[in-house]
Amino acid sequence: MTKMGGIVISGRAWDLLRRFLHGFRTATGRKRLSNPQTDSGASGALVEIRNLHFARGERTILNDLSLTIARGKVTAIMGGSGCGKTTLLNLIGGRLRPSSGQVLVDGVSVPDLSTRELFELRKRMGMLFQSGALLTDLDAFENVAFPIREHKNLPESILRHVVLMKLETVGLRGARELMPAELSGGMARRVALARAIALEPMMIMYDEPFTGLDPISKGVIVKLIRELNTGLGITSVLVSHDVAEACAISDYAYLLGNGRIIGQGTPQEISQSKVEEVRQFMGGLPDGPVPYQYPAMDYLEDLLQGGQA
Amino acid sequence: MIQRRQLELWVGVFVAAGLLALAMLAFRVGNLTAGEVANGYRIQAEFNDIGGLKVRSAVTLAGVRIGRVSEISIDPSNYEAVVAMEIDGRYNNIPVDTSASILTSGLLGEQYIGLDPGGSSQYLKNGGKIEITQSALVLEKIISQFLFNVAAKPDPAKK
Amino acid sequence: MNPLRRLGKFVLDSVEGLGRASLFFFEVTVGTRQLARRFELVVQQVYAVGVLTLLIILVSGLFVGMVLGLQGYHTLVKFGAEDSLGLLVALSLVRELGPVVTALLFAGRAGSSLTAEIGLMKATEQLAGMEMMAVNPIERVIAPRLVAGIIAMPLLAALFSAIGVLGGHLVGVGLLGVDSGAFWSQMQSGVGFREDILNGVIKSVVFGVVVTWIAVFQGYESVPTSEGVSRATNRTVVFSSLAVLALDFIMTALMFK
Repeated sequence: MTKMGGIVISGRAWDLLRRFLHGFRTATGRKRLSNPQTDSGASGALVEIRNLHFARGERTILNDLSLTIARGKVTAIMGGSGCGKTTLLNLIGGRLRPSSGQVLVDGVSVPDLSTRELFELRKRMGMLFQSGALLTDLDAFENVAFPIREHKNLPESILRHVVLMKLETVGLRGARELMPAELSGGMARRVALARAIALEPMMIMYDEPFTGLDPISKGVIVKLIRELNTGLGITSVLVSHDVAEACAISDYAYLLGNGRIIGQGTPQEISQSKVEEVRQFMGGLPDGPVPYQYPAMDYLEDLLQGGQA
Repeated sequence: MIQRRQLELWVGVFVAAGLLALAMLAFRVGNLTAGEVANGYRIQAEFNDIGGLKVRSAVTLAGVRIGRVSEISIDPSNYEAVVAMEIDGRYNNIPVDTSASILTSGLLGEQYIGLDPGGSSQYLKNGGKIEITQSALVLEKIISQFLFNVAAKPDPAKK
Repeated sequence: MNPLRRLGKFVLDSVEGLGRASLFFFEVTVGTRQLARRFELVVQQVYAVGVLTLLIILVSGLFVGMVLGLQGYHTLVKFGAEDSLGLLVALSLVRELGPVVTALLFAGRAGSSLTAEIGLMKATEQLAGMEMMAVNPIERVIAPRLVAGIIAMPLLAALFSAIGVLGGHLVGVGLLGVDSGAFWSQMQSGVGFREDILNGVIKSVVFGVVVTWIAVFQGYESVPTSEGVSRATNRTVVFSSLAVLALDFIMTALMFK
């Protein structure tokens, strides 16, 4: 929400207005803030975030964040619950716009895109949501077919081939007729993954892909992320607080805390870091820079006061 | 999930039933057909007072509805009400000396025009006019007339 | 919070909400353009909001018509005007009860489930998922539902009125001995096509727009938690019922002078 002289304008309405105004700006050709030629080399960065600020109302969620995600690599973004990891993915996907700073994907500044251009970009980005986000009224096959049906005008026979191929990739070709409600958590996530790769994207963003899964399912997802990365060369962005799994598959990792980066490096470098905050998170220590106690008044004083009241 | 074909079938049934209901409202409940008198012809009559007669009120002959009032206006020369009626083309043998009167169905019901056929061998044509008319009975007038008569007569008991 | 400030906040919030709802309506209207190519989406929703609401509409219509027959008869018989029973039943249904009761039932049955469905789609990230698949949920999810609601409502209202008239006939003619001929002929002479039936249809189209609009808006705006969705569902029923009754008064005042 943006406050303007006491009048509250809702986030969405405001967003619409801004999109509208941005439409003019894009028309005048200020969209590409960086030269795509230099950025889109095979070894370059696919996503670049510079000095990103993001606030919801009064609350700052991301503060002066800068990071790069290398093309063709698996990059993990780790951090405690509510530290803004999912927000970061939404910023990269253009579902949220930053208060300030730049988000460049494949050399294009995401916040400056018109809705149409944004949708074109999103066709090249897959996203795996925490819940899978399968459409509940469609079966597994139709869920995977959904983005293809929406965007490509394929004859039914070819569509069937493509969908079965994607389902085969995640090992669920046999489950094509099951409804989302009939799938286990791990299976739902695999179907969602098949859907995310349906349009053969250049990158996939994984939002907490391991949460709430049993060890076998976790193993399956780890294997799939790795395979998709090496086999198809898809850039992967992995947001997670499962240290072991994230470290096992990532090439590079960022550690987020309080809306900024508190550590980065290869998983090995991070786990050997001397920084207190990083050590607490990686080791899962109950007390440290993030205190065990929620801020409160003195315990004894509190108890005594309670007796008097 | 419901099969696609079955779903489409149900929607078809639903839309058809809805349209049928609309048609029933239009034709059976409303008077879409009754309003459109089949290749009718128009006749006129002048009344001193039409009471509660309205456009679309019924025109009957021997109790059978044969048409309806299509227009009501005032003749500016003599301040009489001019009622135009649309008569069904099937009833094209109404004698020219027919009389029209404004009647009420029941004590408080709707008012309508009743035609009383005469004996002429000439029939009314399109644009024809009924000369003999009887106005509506307005209840207040009848009552006041009655009261006036009672008041005007000296009461014999008081003598 | 002092009462004045609370009043001010209430007014500001209401204006803001109305503004958002209008913008949303505009977006959805723009989103209906692509439905011509994808009419099957609308057909599916007509099933959900129309066919599944049919039974409650038919049963209610029948009973409302029967009650009108009973009540109307006992009132009219005092004036010896029981022949006008058909007229009374038909006019009450076609002008008022058909559109209004249908809209209220529709809000309770179809409106609330629309809100809950869209709210749950939001809570389970299905809408966000669509956005990330470059599919606009307003075009894909909301627009077909709005169009389906607008199609279904007048049809449901017509069915309600029609079966209500039959219900009135059942009681008046079958039970209370009103002459069947008088029942129908009085009805036909008194009910006008344009002034009564068409106006009734116009009413139900307006109700269709408003109720479905409120339902999809509340779903789309709901807080994506189970509590948020249940609140939104509740608001849909309350707001749309109030809107229907208020609009009915305004339209009646304008139509039947």
